[in-house]
Amino acid sequence: MTDGIKRRDFLKVLGVSGAGATMTGCGPGEVEKLLPYVVQPEEITPGVATWYATTCGCPSGCGIWVRTREGRAVKIEGNPDHPISQGAVCLQGHASLQHLYNPDRFAGPMIREGDVFRQGTWDEAERLLAARINQSTTAGHSVMFVGGHLGPTMTRLVDQFVDSVDGSRVEYHAVSNAPLREATRIAYGTNEVPTYDIGASDFLLSFGNDFIETGSSPVAHNKGLAQMSSVDAAGSKGRFVYLGPRLSTTGLNADEWIPIRPGSEAAVALGMASVIAGDASAAGPYTDVLRAYSPATAAQAAGVSEDSIRDLAERFASQSPTLALGPGMGSHHRNATAANLAVMILNDVAGNVGRTVHYDANVTAAAAAYADMESAVSDLAAGQVGVAMVHGANPAYSMPEASGFVDAFAHAAFRVSFASAMDETSALADLILPDRHFLEAWGDSMPRQGVMALQQPVMQAVTHFDSKQAGDVLLAVSTHLGKDLGGTTFYEFMRDSHREMHDSSMGDFEESWRQALREGAVEHDTGATATATQLQAPDVALSFDTPALDEGGDLTLLVHPSPRFGAGEFSNSPWLQELPDPVSKITWHSWLEMNGHTAEQRGIREGDIVTVTSPHGSVDVPVWIYPGIREDAVALAMGGGHTNMGRWADGSGVNALALLPSESEQPSGAMVTLATTVTVTSTGERRRIATVDGSKGDQHDRPIAPAVALADLGHAEESEGEEDHGELKELQGVGGFVPVPAEGGAATAFPLEGAQHGAYVDAHELPRWAMAIDLDKCTGCSACVTACQAENNVPWVGEDQILMGRDMNWVRIERYYEHIDATQAGDLDVRMLPMICQHCGNAPCEPVCPVFATYHTPEGVNAQIYNRCVGTRYCANNCPYKVRVFNWYRYTEENVPEPMNWQWNPDVTVRTNGIMEKCSFCMQRIREVENRAALEEGRAINDGEIVPACEQSCPAEAIVFGNIRDENSRVSQVVSSERTYRVLDEILNTQPAVHYLRKVTFHEVATGGHE
Amino acid sequence: MSSATKDPIARGALTHPDVTRLDDVNRDVLKMMSAPGKGWWALFGLATAGLGIFFTSWGWQLYRGIGASGLNAPVGWGVYITTFVFWVGIAHSGTLISAILFLFRAPWRQAIYRAAEAMTVFAVMTAGLFPLIHVGRLWHAYWLIPYPNSRFLWPNFKSPLVWDVFAITTYFTVSATFFYLGTIPDIAAARDRATGLRKKLYQVISLGWRGSDQQWHHFGKAYIFLAALATPLVLSVHSVVSWDFAVSIVPGWHTTIFAPYFVAGAIYSGVAMVITLIVPIRKIFHLEAYVTTKHFDAMAKLCLLTSMIVGYAYMSEFFMAWYSGEEIERTAFWNRLFGTYWWATWIMLTCNMFVPIMLWFKRVRYSIPALFVISIFVNIGMWFERYVIVVTSLHHEYEPFAWGIYRPSLTEMGILVGSFAWFSFWFLLFTRLLPPIAIQELKEVLPPPMRKQKEAH
Repeated sequence: MTDGIKRRDFLKVLGVSGAGATMTGCGPGEVEKLLPYVVQPEEITPGVATWYATTCGCPSGCGIWVRTREGRAVKIEGNPDHPISQGAVCLQGHASLQHLYNPDRFAGPMIREGDVFRQGTWDEAERLLAARINQSTTAGHSVMFVGGHLGPTMTRLVDQFVDSVDGSRVEYHAVSNAPLREATRIAYGTNEVPTYDIGASDFLLSFGNDFIETGSSPVAHNKGLAQMSSVDAAGSKGRFVYLGPRLSTTGLNADEWIPIRPGSEAAVALGMASVIAGDASAAGPYTDVLRAYSPATAAQAAGVSEDSIRDLAERFASQSPTLALGPGMGSHHRNATAANLAVMILNDVAGNVGRTVHYDANVTAAAAAYADMESAVSDLAAGQVGVAMVHGANPAYSMPEASGFVDAFAHAAFRVSFASAMDETSALADLILPDRHFLEAWGDSMPRQGVMALQQPVMQAVTHFDSKQAGDVLLAVSTHLGKDLGGTTFYEFMRDSHREMHDSSMGDFEESWRQALREGAVEHDTGATATATQLQAPDVALSFDTPALDEGGDLTLLVHPSPRFGAGEFSNSPWLQELPDPVSKITWHSWLEMNGHTAEQRGIREGDIVTVTSPHGSVDVPVWIYPGIREDAVALAMGGGHTNMGRWADGSGVNALALLPSESEQPSGAMVTLATTVTVTSTGERRRIATVDGSKGDQHDRPIAPAVALADLGHAEESEGEEDHGELKELQGVGGFVPVPAEGGAATAFPLEGAQHGAYVDAHELPRWAMAIDLDKCTGCSACVTACQAENNVPWVGEDQILMGRDMNWVRIERYYEHIDATQAGDLDVRMLPMICQHCGNAPCEPVCPVFATYHTPEGVNAQIYNRCVGTRYCANNCPYKVRVFNWYRYTEENVPEPMNWQWNPDVTVRTNGIMEKCSFCMQRIREVENRAALEEGRAINDGEIVPACEQSCPAEAIVFGNIRDENSRVSQVVSSERTYRVLDEILNTQPAVHYLRKVTFHEVATGGHE
Repeated sequence: MSSATKDPIARGALTHPDVTRLDDVNRDVLKMMSAPGKGWWALFGLATAGLGIFFTSWGWQLYRGIGASGLNAPVGWGVYITTFVFWVGIAHSGTLISAILFLFRAPWRQAIYRAAEAMTVFAVMTAGLFPLIHVGRLWHAYWLIPYPNSRFLWPNFKSPLVWDVFAITTYFTVSATFFYLGTIPDIAAARDRATGLRKKLYQVISLGWRGSDQQWHHFGKAYIFLAALATPLVLSVHSVVSWDFAVSIVPGWHTTIFAPYFVAGAIYSGVAMVITLIVPIRKIFHLEAYVTTKHFDAMAKLCLLTSMIVGYAYMSEFFMAWYSGEEIERTAFWNRLFGTYWWATWIMLTCNMFVPIMLWFKRVRYSIPALFVISIFVNIGMWFERYVIVVTSLHHEYEPFAWGIYRPSLTEMGILVGSFAWFSFWFLLFTRLLPPIAIQELKEVLPPPMRKQKEAH
């Protein structure tokens, strides 16, 4: 031993000083480069995830928790403490990780040189922009800033910036709630959209409002829908009626469908209101309007029977509280504001204001008026704009071709894009200043009054891309211009602006700030600004009639935002491209929805490529036969047909906007999406539809997704005649392979002695993991599918592979039509069933594997050992549920470019070529909790502590996971329902660990094969 | 066996009226091995080209991944398993003809059994490749073999695929040994005539056969033992292969009839394949004197019998599906007849049940061209039988939403065609390197070389 410093001491000193040096605030802070952990930062323990609370990117402003591993964001989950989203995220939210690691992002600021872009430095780019702004001002031209969803602070900064250069800011949202906002303003004087308490209503009407897909807060609304429409402990269930020409995902969840004629919402709502109100004077200033409508006029406008309207109105009135939702983005016709207002009148006469619909919450949803963009386009076309900047929007794609934006934009002297990856608008720009992804940037969001949600960087910016926060760029440019907007960084600017908003009643600012960062959002009691709850007289002329459509065709064209791509802003994500559309189950390409009768009359078959022609343009698109659309309409989703957005979006599908006029509805100024008729002519060509639906929605009378009538609940036991094998049933009821004492007391002989089942260990001490999925709650929204992909490194395979039948998703939402009739109003029965590995107690896949690559764990999980698999595929053949998917190619190597692979969850093996995989019940999460419990003095695992990714993401809370051997666990409680069944178990005795709860219908369920 | 002696085939003199001298047998048979004609070279060239396709396709699949096939979910097994079962089936009649008919003393086997045995060995060699072609990770396929290893893991003996490994390796070992043993005296005969390198080769592989009494004695004993050993294999191997399907729960696979049904089908396809092979050999090598229409008649009768067994199995499957009352099973069989793959089923029924009805006619059984055509039909039909079983059952299983369609890829077709080339390659080499007709057994049935006869000649 020498007296010199010992190695251990040296490391201690190094560790302490290193930790001190790297200590940061709440965010990971700015480090120039990611370095290997010679010295481990305090916040990061290799192998242990760090979670950050932040706010998701879209205007709904859902609160999210981001799981980071070694400084990389790997998973997005809902923030359960968030007042709006309450622990769930939509599929687009999950997929934003793919936009973060999108390989098509710009490597740095791009400066146009002739036809190509050259990568420049930030300083160069900022000076260039400052110079061009100066130049524009000198020339007497204006500066225009087109901004999408910016958040309150960024909006403030942009406004200050454009003010300082005498410019203007134009708000633009491709998917906008403008008619709703305008109707609210007219009727109640608040220029914001209302909030709905969907969960509290007993009777819900949707007038073509696809509230679980688009609108102000799809996640919260989805939660509400599941809550209101699922049967409760008392055996009652809210009724959901969908009125509209086409069933969206939202519509498929309805109990009844009244296929009203497109644009007749106002007539129907007013006709109903007139029945409910009786004395029309109840509608205050709208008395005259109400007098003009009756069920008869409504029936005539809607093309449905008068009785059905009267009956609906009476039933609506007999329940309380109820809720009616006005037409959303997919039904923005030329009288959309009036239609929304008509629905507000209906809510008013039904007494819902202040109960299920609130006009005082000031939801700052995306509601920009398209009319503003139209005038911006004419300004641009007039050559008055010296510098045009576009941020968070892609008008070159999302405005109809007829708007002339592309030509007008070219007239701007200097065009700037803040897009982080190439899009159609950036391709036209002179300068691209790539903004950061929301997971790398500071920001805020005010989803409704009093809720301040902060957005903080959860990781250092992805090092492949030299991006810079747009706020920082604007501050730097303004410095070059010699202006001072306050603050040198956007972070300071934002803190300062929050400090200003902070008032002493909210406590210490620093404390509140830290709390907001930690929790993602703070809710302040703003003392609910008193808002009028009485209808006000309209200050503009409104027509409640069914609007005219552009003539020239014989079918009405319905254009709606895609549940996957929105209006196209999310299209460059392979997860979303490959996610089967919740309605059509089609991946990648676009399709035209057409009723089977319509197709038959025209001699069109599914897969025929047709030319859809409107007076404004035409597209060629394959037909998909859909029973959920009126015979006089066809539907096309937005989001396809990108030409310059990235490798996954480009060339996938067609852009529906090519068929639309560029027109804004009056008085809201919203873009008209329901505007035109079209002709559909066959091109004579065909293509195969890249669907994952193998039976065209037909369940073939098999007991896959059975239902039970509400009236039969409570009597189901008697009809099943379980006496014959009661003992076996009892065992199956608790999950299989659990010896349960029979009535006599002694353990039953089932399962037989351990040897009987080989690897099946009869371990009393261990839990038996199981899952319950309530089909009465599941809305088919498909967020779980994307969540599972993100959590479990499930690769995507591409359109050609889907066409070959090789989709890899571990969760398959099966959509079966039981009863769906577009020709008349009535019952609707569509079953959604999330199919995952059933983790059978008596698994058919296990004995057939020659190498024990799949086996049964002592905890009852059907495990797949990837590196043991040789790929005989026998297990998949023998799986009656067909939940096993195979790696036909090196999908994870070939399809996942750098840095998309940064998203991979380090806790889950990335699978290679030639092996089988499937749902593992998120084994890594089970182990993580088990390990944590073991480290904490060997405590027991709490029920609900293990949450698989699908359960976590489910807005409907339809999925419950837990130990079924513990009779007090949530899953045991749920499974004890009389609605519980296990798919195919009665036929095959597979004894699955996944239990489903039957959907509950109002009508009698046809019994053929279903019981 | 009085009836046997009355049967002209039982007596070589009548079977081979044009062969009188034992010398002729040696000469005619061994001649085949010395001077390959243009026909042989053409076929050999074709086979070699086919081998090129085979290895290119397989190589491509190994390079790209098993996705180069058209397989998918739910159809995880397709052309490869179909062709595997097809070749295993082909392999069966060889042993049937050589071992079982030997034990039953059916003398008509003599003229054809050598070719049939060779066919067996090469068919097993072909079949054995298919599980390897089929697996996702060829480089780990050896994990199916039980051997002591550091992982302390045995294969899963409950899996029919492991049974397959045993069945196929056992069958290959026994049939190859049996085949080799039977050729030893003939190799010695060839050795006596050969020169140069060939002579050296035959010297080694004839194991010093001199035709001594004692050697004949041991040979006879060994041959009958091996025949007895091989006989149960004829029944067991294809039963095991059928359990690949029957043990599963797939509707259309899960039936108890599979073992006897597969064995009958195997013999059926094997005999048809023997006809397909013998007809050109007989023509090319001018062996009309040795393989006569009587032999073809006997093979045709065997074909007819097995065709009826197979037809009965088809019908009983359909009947049981209906009679069971099980909706999913019924749908599976209805779908088999009238679903997406109806054409495959009707090819199967036509080729295997309807076309062989013609064999009831003696004229057809005695017409070599007709038999050749029918045998081709049966070969096609039997391949489609396995295709129907594998593909139609899988593509419409329990879960309607997961139903799917399978389309074989070019790679799979290349390997399918290539497998015939691989088989032909070995078979053609065999006709040149080993006596394709059993000299010694043929001599047994010829009239003994009496001095009187010789003088009379």
